[in-house]
Amino acid sequence: MFSEQAAHTAQGLLAPPSAEASTFARVPVSTYTNCSQHFRLGERSFNRQYAHIYATRLIQMRPLLLERARQKWGSSIAVKKLCELQTAEKCCIVGTLFKSMQLQPSILREISEEHNLLPQPSRTKYIHQSDELILEDELQRIKLEGAVDIQKLVTGTILAIYGSEREDGKFVVEDHCFADLPRQLPRRGPSTDRFVLLVSGLGLGGGSGESFLAMQLLVDVVTGQLGAEGEQGCAAQISRVILAGNLLSQNTQNKDTINKAKYLTKKTQAASVEAVKMLDEILLQLSTSVPVDVMPGEFDPTNYTLPQQPLHHCMFPLAGAYSTLQLVTNPYQADIDGVRFLGTSGQNINDIFKYSSMEDHLEILEWTLHVGHLSPTAPDTLGCYPFYKTDPFIFTDCPHVYFCGNAPRFRSKELKGVDGQQVLLVTIPDFSATQTACLINLRNLTCQPVSFSGFSADEDEGEMEISH
Amino acid sequence: MEDELYLENIDEFVTDQNRIVTYKWLSFTLGVHVNQAKQMLYDYVERKRKENSGAQLHVTYLVAGNLIQNGHICHKVAVVREDKLEAMKSKLAMIASVHVYSIQKAMLKDSGPLYNTDYDIVKTNLQNCSKFSAIQCAAAVPRTSAEVPQVQTSAQADSQTPNDTHAVNVPTVNGHVSSTAKQPSPQPKGIMGMFATKSASKSQDTNKETKPESKETTIATTVSSKTSPKGNAMSNFFGKAAMNKLKVNSECEQPKEEKTVAKPSVSVVEPKSPPSAAVEKPGKKMEPMKIQQKDKRSRAKRVDMSDNEGKEDENLKKKRRRIKRPQSDSSEDEDVSVSPTPQEATPPLPSPEPALKIELEPETTEASTGGKKRKRKRVLKSKTFVDDEGCMVTEKVYESESCSDSEEEFIKSKLPAAHSQSTAAVKKEPKEDRKGLKKGAATASKANKQVSIMGFFQKK
Repeated sequence: MFSEQAAHTAQGLLAPPSAEASTFARVPVSTYTNCSQHFRLGERSFNRQYAHIYATRLIQMRPLLLERARQKWGSSIAVKKLCELQTAEKCCIVGTLFKSMQLQPSILREISEEHNLLPQPSRTKYIHQSDELILEDELQRIKLEGAVDIQKLVTGTILAIYGSEREDGKFVVEDHCFADLPRQLPRRGPSTDRFVLLVSGLGLGGGSGESFLAMQLLVDVVTGQLGAEGEQGCAAQISRVILAGNLLSQNTQNKDTINKAKYLTKKTQAASVEAVKMLDEILLQLSTSVPVDVMPGEFDPTNYTLPQQPLHHCMFPLAGAYSTLQLVTNPYQADIDGVRFLGTSGQNINDIFKYSSMEDHLEILEWTLHVGHLSPTAPDTLGCYPFYKTDPFIFTDCPHVYFCGNAPRFRSKELKGVDGQQVLLVTIPDFSATQTACLINLRNLTCQPVSFSGFSADEDEGEMEISH
Repeated sequence: MEDELYLENIDEFVTDQNRIVTYKWLSFTLGVHVNQAKQMLYDYVERKRKENSGAQLHVTYLVAGNLIQNGHICHKVAVVREDKLEAMKSKLAMIASVHVYSIQKAMLKDSGPLYNTDYDIVKTNLQNCSKFSAIQCAAAVPRTSAEVPQVQTSAQADSQTPNDTHAVNVPTVNGHVSSTAKQPSPQPKGIMGMFATKSASKSQDTNKETKPESKETTIATTVSSKTSPKGNAMSNFFGKAAMNKLKVNSECEQPKEEKTVAKPSVSVVEPKSPPSAAVEKPGKKMEPMKIQQKDKRSRAKRVDMSDNEGKEDENLKKKRRRIKRPQSDSSEDEDVSVSPTPQEATPPLPSPEPALKIELEPETTEASTGGKKRKRKRVLKSKTFVDDEGCMVTEKVYESESCSDSEEEFIKSKLPAAHSQSTAAVKKEPKEDRKGLKKGAATASKANKQVSIMGFFQKK
């Protein structure tokens, strides 16, 4: 655990000044490879329809699913395309799920004059009892009924279904299976304790100053300014910091410039300008001491569609001068000291949360791993670039650490796959709300939350602790 | 006894100056390692309390340790007041560190002031914020200026290579790619190169002043062509005075015939008018007022922003605005207001000087009765001369006046580039004054008033 060996020197600084103060050297980065090239977009063309991404997704995942299906239901099962279906014949079909939801926000419905509808209020969940599941393959689609949890599944999932077609044209499901975890490369982690700090949701420019001191304490712990000598020595073992999105707060997304008259808004500076300057200073403090990877999030100044491209380095003139600062994509995949990290800033999980009955972000995170796709709801309800050659969100290798940012609370779990994979699942909490970050030990793949607090006028300090 | 120096220092900070002395603040102020600063604070507290048990000292501590919460171990780092220290320590299962965080005279209600103190001291020491830290990172070396453009070009290359794979099947995309790939890449490289060397830009400013001068003639002649905005954009990065020269020269051909009224405050604004000869006088009169307003605004913006980011943001703006410029040829009031908005940002941006001049000159006209400064009285002189471009100019000159005023202004606003600018200013003035003369006195005073009001706002 972090800083356990610091206990014996805990009170060491409650003493008169000593002649020398010890300095620790940051653990060097032994191996680091950024594996997110397939998330980078070059010239973007939006002339294509989104049908291509579904087509390629199905083509890529069909062999995996057939293999799993044969493993599960026997190698002698009949695998049919939808156009070859015969009634009352048990077979296996593979296709893309579509969930037709009546509450799903539809722009066409909104602007349709026939219906005279007011815009739908935003909800936390858009599921409804009357939702239906439809399976589509290359040529046809068919409605699903039976032993399938309609509420849980979301559009865009590729799965294999075992059952038979009924006379009325609906497919009765007896069982289904997903692509499950892909194979995992062996982990060559370090032999000594090495930590990676995961933080998300710094929320700068939010207007409320509660988390500022906590953020400063975080930076001070990581850069070795805070803490007694033992703790500083442990902090020197933090080999990397990953900022997983939402560095800016939602409040910086000021849409006034669009709605207000131009003569009123000419003078106003975008709220994100100040926030980015603050971010630059924080990144400078971190970059002078530890390698930092900055992932953009939902409210950060980069493109909206997934995969989000790295923030532009001209926004960080101070911190950008250091080679330790790395601006990376969302989602982000990297090999850090022999451990494969994969994670997003949370948009994919939040979107699935809205359209599924699953309540826990960790549960959703695990589910995406089982489904074999990072973000099945893209491009249906989550903005996505119209890929046509490959779908980069399909898992090719199983990561060792799989995280998502901006979750409401910190959760972590060790998942064991059927083929012996071992994955550490981590949901990183929103720092501006919880003042909590996560520390991952690369040696044994354990995770520990770290929370920071100041004191306020309230007498009871317990209120500042992380909420669980 | 040297060791006691720090005690006296802390005493002075806490008692006399009534500061909040955090360990970080002390570390940067005295130039000591953070751990030593923490120990110094502790030592001070102990001694002070021994001497005088009723000492008015409030101390906050930092406590860090492991806390069992919901079945798993959470590492907690907290800043606590002295009275809550024991309570916090008892909550923790294992204490990793305890040390003094800050000392102050008054009891703190909340930790906001601690954050402010730390923020301020870090802000003033941004470049070496890890100097006194206990952890030194060997990998954290600033990139050399040679590496930076490489990083940018590799970023460009990165974005270009997936390009190729995507562009194979779709001919339209191919065409799209090939046409646009070439255009943006050399341009951004050039402009990114400007961004990259922004740290050296100040030194480059003086070097590159000569370059824009050579460019001036080409720009002046091709003012309405599309290439000129981009040329202007590049040379815009070279320096304020150079840029002003550019603009001034590009305009000198048009207003040659208009030498009627003196309006020095608008002189700088003149360059911003669109390059179409069809611009009318009334239109121009309207412009300066609007332009001055925007001028002031942009100046306020610029003054607020730090130099680096300001330059870059505005350089970006400049580039965009330059492209807009030719479109304003068919200028109506609206266009005029649109195009000068971007343009007017450009000259004052890196140069405080023109904006300052605008402020200067209203003062000179207004205070003609006021005589606040004895130098004012020397102002109104009529001068006829042939300037660089071969334009014959008759004008009332505020030369000597502006020069000294501008120097005062520089001192006032504490701009480091003041002296280098003032020499450029002298050169520029004849042209500015000439342009200023064109405006009516009425509009001049009106504009002056507006300018001074804006100046009032910016004082905030």
